[in-house]
Order: sequence, then C-alpha cells, then structure tokens
Amino acid sequence: MKTDRTEVVEDLNRLMAEELEAFLRYFQMRYRLRGVDRLAADKLFEEGTRETLEHAEAIAKQIRALGHVPQLKIELELRGGRTNLQEALAEMLEVERQALDAYKEVLPRVTGDTMLEDFIRKQISVETEHVQEIATLLE
Amino acid sequence: METWKEFEANELTHSAAHHLLAIYEVGLEYGGWARVSDIARELNITRGSVSINLRALKKRGWVETDEHHMVKLSPKGQKAAQAVMAKKAVVKTFLSSVLNVPELQAEIDSCKVEHLISQPTGEQLVHFMRFLVSGDPLAKQVLARFKNFHDQCPESKTCEVCHGHCLIEELQHAGL
Ligand SMILES: [Zn+2]
Repeated sequence: MKTDRTEVVEDLNRLMAEELEAFLRYFQMRYRLRGVDRLAADKLFEEGTRETLEHAEAIAKQIRALGHVPQLKIELELRGGRTNLQEALAEMLEVERQALDAYKEVLPRVTGDTMLEDFIRKQISVETEHVQEIATLLE
Repeated sequence: METWKEFEANELTHSAAHHLLAIYEVGLEYGGWARVSDIARELNITRGSVSINLRALKKRGWVETDEHHMVKLSPKGQKAAQAVMAKKAVVKTFLSSVLNVPELQAEIDSCKVEHLISQPTGEQLVHFMRFLVSGDPLAKQVLARFKNFHDQCPESKTCEVCHGHCLIEELQHAGL
C-alpha cells in the first residue's frame, strides 16, 4: 500500500511536537518540585526529558527518511509554580496518555508501510509501558 | 484605577475562553462531547497542552470528563462560553456595522476583547445598536451621516476629542 506521504509527514510533525513539548514540560517540572518531593521526582523527570528528546529525534529521522525536513510548531507558555509530587505525576500521566493516543491514531494511516508501521508500533508499546508505570505510581 | 492588574486576576483567560469555545464547537456534532484530539486540532495546539489546560478548567468547574476522557462543558462552562460568544458578537457587530471597521479587523479585535469586556458594557453596546436600528429618524441620520463624514484633524492638533494630543496621530504610531 502506498501511503500519502505529505499527510504522514504532517502526522509525524505533530507527534514530534507532542514529544518536544513534553520534554519542555518535564524540564520545567524538575524545578517546580521542592524538598523530599524533588528528590523523589528528579530522576523520574530527568529520565522523562531524556526519553522525550530521544523520541523526538527518532521521529525527526523518520521524517528525514521520507525526504522531508521536520517542521516544528509549538505554542507553549509554562507558568506553573511550585507543585507536589502527586500533581506532577498526574500531569505526566496526562501528557504520556495523550502521546500514546496520538501514536495510536497515526497507526492505521501507516499500516502497510513496513518501516513506519514498525516504528509507530514500537512507540506505542514503549508509551503504553510508560503510562502503566506512572499510573502504578499514582495508585 | 489599576485595571491592568486585574488581567492576572481575571478568572477567564483568553486561552481558557478559547478552550471553552473549542469544546463548544467540537461538541456541537456529538451532543456536547468532545475528544482531546479534536480540541487540539481546533485550537492548533498539541494534545498534551490541551489535556494539561483541561485539568485547570476542570478544577474551576468549567468542564467535565467521562471515563473515556471525553470532555464536555459543565453548565457553568456553558454559560461562560455563551457569554464570551455574545460579547464577541456584539463587539464585532459594533465595529463593523457602526464604526465601519473592515470585517477581518473587526473579527480580530473582537476576538481580543471577547473575554475581557464587562457585562454592562456589552449590554450598553447592544442597547446602543438597537437604538441605531430602532427606526428613530435621527438614529438613521446619525448612521448615514457618520458613513459619509470626512474627518479632518485641525492644524492646531486640538479638538473636542483630543484635548491637545492628536489621538489619531498617536494611534498611527502603533502601526509603525
Ligand atoms: Zn479570542
């Protein structure tokens, strides 16, 4: 099956924006937490920044492989103040859940395109695991 | 008066107002329910942002969600959305029909103030426009005369409106 490349590239650009926004959110989150909360969450959110950046990069490479240049459009203002671990995790869960849904939404549009399909499936499994992990922490 | 300080305290930010409007718009087709992905598309922002912003709107009691993460305006949110739409409509009509501001500019400017103007101001604008279309012969004349009024600022830069500072001139600086 031949996929409509322009539309797929747009999908990928949107996914990349989700990942990079999440990266920026987690980056700020590390400085919104204080005290014992900070100690507990710092590693988690640092990992979050690393992973989201890795994912964004993987998506950018897919876009390049399709012969396009990644286009980024984000409108983000992070003004959140101090917060606690529970709140921070709830936000992270929300963001990760949306990323997972976004990958799932793209899957049917790349089905049949082996490389892209494999990539999206892999992302779905990674994100699913991530969502479950955070949900467990919030239980 | 330090009205500008109220901007921070203003309960409904412009962003929040547009989220409510987007939920309203998207929900029209689905009995009021909207998906985060559709709201994101409507607002042209990421789903992550929408979901985080929705948390704040939910805390304020403007939106409700179900177990499938579908979103709906609460009765309070519904009222807030309607108030914003009404204010936008009245300002836009005033700008385009009374002041003869071009349609596109009227759309942009009414969007900017839709969440900020007060209820009394909105209501007075409605009354004023109702007066203009009331059939009162003077009202008709006022509208017609204004349309054909060719304003010339006096050399002296002083007039009954500007009191020494030519406001038109100063407004033009904004377009620099
Ligand atoms: Zn607006």
